[in-house]
Amino acid sequence: MKNTIVVLVVVAIIAIIFVALGPFYVVDEGYQAVVVRFGAIVSSTETAGLKFKMPVVDNVVKYPKKIMSWDGDARKIPTAEKQFIWVDTTARWRIVDPEQFYSSVQTFERAYLNLDDVIDSSVKSIVANNKLVEAVRSSNAINESAQEVIGGLDEDVSLEGLQDFTVEESTFEQILKGRGELSDEIASLVKQVVPQYGIELIDVVIRQIRYSDDLTSSVYQRMIKERNQRAELFRSYGEGQKQVWLGKQQNEQRAILSAARARAEDIKGAADAEAAKIYAAAYEPYPKFYEFWRSIESYRKTLPTFGKTMTTDMEYFKYLYNREGN
Amino acid sequence: MSDRGQRPAGLPIPIKPSMILLAVVVIAIIVTALTATFVVDQTERAVITRFGRYSRTLGPGLQFKLPLNIEKSYIVETEVFQNMQFGFRTEEAGVVSTFSSQDYPEESIMLTGDLNIVDFEWAIKYRIVDPVAWLFNVNDQEKTIRDISTSVINQLVGDRAILDVISSAREQIQADGLELMNEKFKAYDLGINVTQIQLQNTRPPEGEVQDAFEDVNIAIQDMNRLINEGKEEYNKVIPRARGEAEKIVEEANGYAAERKNIAQGDVDRFNAVVAEYLKAPDITETRLYLEMIEEVFGGTEGTNLIDKNLGTNFLPLLNLQQGGEAQQ
Repeated sequence: MKNTIVVLVVVAIIAIIFVALGPFYVVDEGYQAVVVRFGAIVSSTETAGLKFKMPVVDNVVKYPKKIMSWDGDARKIPTAEKQFIWVDTTARWRIVDPEQFYSSVQTFERAYLNLDDVIDSSVKSIVANNKLVEAVRSSNAINESAQEVIGGLDEDVSLEGLQDFTVEESTFEQILKGRGELSDEIASLVKQVVPQYGIELIDVVIRQIRYSDDLTSSVYQRMIKERNQRAELFRSYGEGQKQVWLGKQQNEQRAILSAARARAEDIKGAADAEAAKIYAAAYEPYPKFYEFWRSIESYRKTLPTFGKTMTTDMEYFKYLYNREGN
Repeated sequence: MSDRGQRPAGLPIPIKPSMILLAVVVIAIIVTALTATFVVDQTERAVITRFGRYSRTLGPGLQFKLPLNIEKSYIVETEVFQNMQFGFRTEEAGVVSTFSSQDYPEESIMLTGDLNIVDFEWAIKYRIVDPVAWLFNVNDQEKTIRDISTSVINQLVGDRAILDVISSAREQIQADGLELMNEKFKAYDLGINVTQIQLQNTRPPEGEVQDAFEDVNIAIQDMNRLINEGKEEYNKVIPRARGEAEKIVEEANGYAAERKNIAQGDVDRFNAVVAEYLKAPDITETRLYLEMIEEVFGGTEGTNLIDKNLGTNFLPLLNLQQGGEAQQ
């Protein structure tokens, strides 16, 4: 009995020591491993699972198989027009050849240092060789829109005079490459270098582009000025239209009144003519009697106001001297 | 051997080595059992690896795996929609969410296609659809999502003019952004699906620039106002003028009627006199003449009368300052 126990214990101890010394190692999903013996690579594995190695002498270095991200600091880079912009890039990469990775850089620290160098310099050279618009835009879609929507306009306000001004300069510079192609160019530059580290570069994307600070403030000034001009345009158009309405009002007013007055004169004139016709029709048959009668009427009206000095040489006095009226 | 049955002094129950062994075994079994069971929530899935290699995915409920880390379980929330915010943060989510007043300009300020600057805030919703891919394909999953989202939006905003970006192109950017982001994540085999992009504030940068943009809207209002003022003035004056015009014409008509009536009246009176005249011409004339003299000279005193037969020896002087006397 005792011997069995002793044997069991001894076997257990040997087993434990054996396992502890690690002939097994586990590679998790998403990882790969390199087995190093006395500093030299013995084998590598890229699949997950339970693996074997020589205990004690073999060292396992595990690297992720996953897509890793590289994050660059924003860098101030000049474009072809010598405008300085902050370009913030990020890249995806992964270790495809773990043995190469181990022999060349071994640690992530060094890998990142190398990536920094390579990617930064590629970004710099591509950006500096291209215009700003190539880095900012990806297509020429901008030329298809850019019509200012004049919101809040009353329905019957005529915009005719304004059309010439509201159709904005919708022709922007055509780009030849665009952001996507520039990113590809950067990536291809980097891809030439990184295989020596056992690294595959998947992509480089531009995360942010920004103006340098002094350029920003001058861009703000430009934007403000442009908007102010638009505002000015609308306001002066409004003034102009108001004057048009006022002018219309004045003109029509004048026209209406003068037409009325002319018509009134016509009516009066026609009435006068009508009256004259009536008089003439009545007086014409009796011209002599009319003359007599009308003069009598006239004397009635006017003479009462005259200061009177009369001579007896009037027909009225003809019976004054004698009965016969001589 | 004979010691075996003897109790060590002080212990109430007999302790045999076999009992200790039993206890150890029992504890070992319990511990093993604990490491072999786990609970998966309704919104979660569990990915099981055996010796590191993917074995299976388990759904909600009480689940089992091989103990002692022979099999490892990774819990992934697959049924929950995750949020990510850019350029702003939600302070308190609720029926009415409050947003942090802090800006995140490094995330939100970007260039537009016409080389202007815009302040662009957005949020995305995504869901993990492939937990295995999510766990094992990409390192720094959240950072990758954030990087790609930022880059896609930056690219889309950079392709359009600022006036479109802040208004008419918003929906298009949302749609395109969704497409591009999912394309990229599929290429990485990240195992997520971005379900929604929500744009928050998209506007010119705060301060003077925003004011200048706002001023254009105000200017359009001003323009409307001015044009309406002109129209109002017109609408006020012209009807009044028309009324006045009518009045003028009516007055003329009145004059015309009056004139004709007076003429008619005069003529009627004349015709009546003519009728008398025709019956007895001389008599009528004499009568009219004498009636006129009486009427005209009748009432006034002091009318001077000068004899026509005075001849040329007398020069009549009229003293205009005194009342005249009849001289014969």
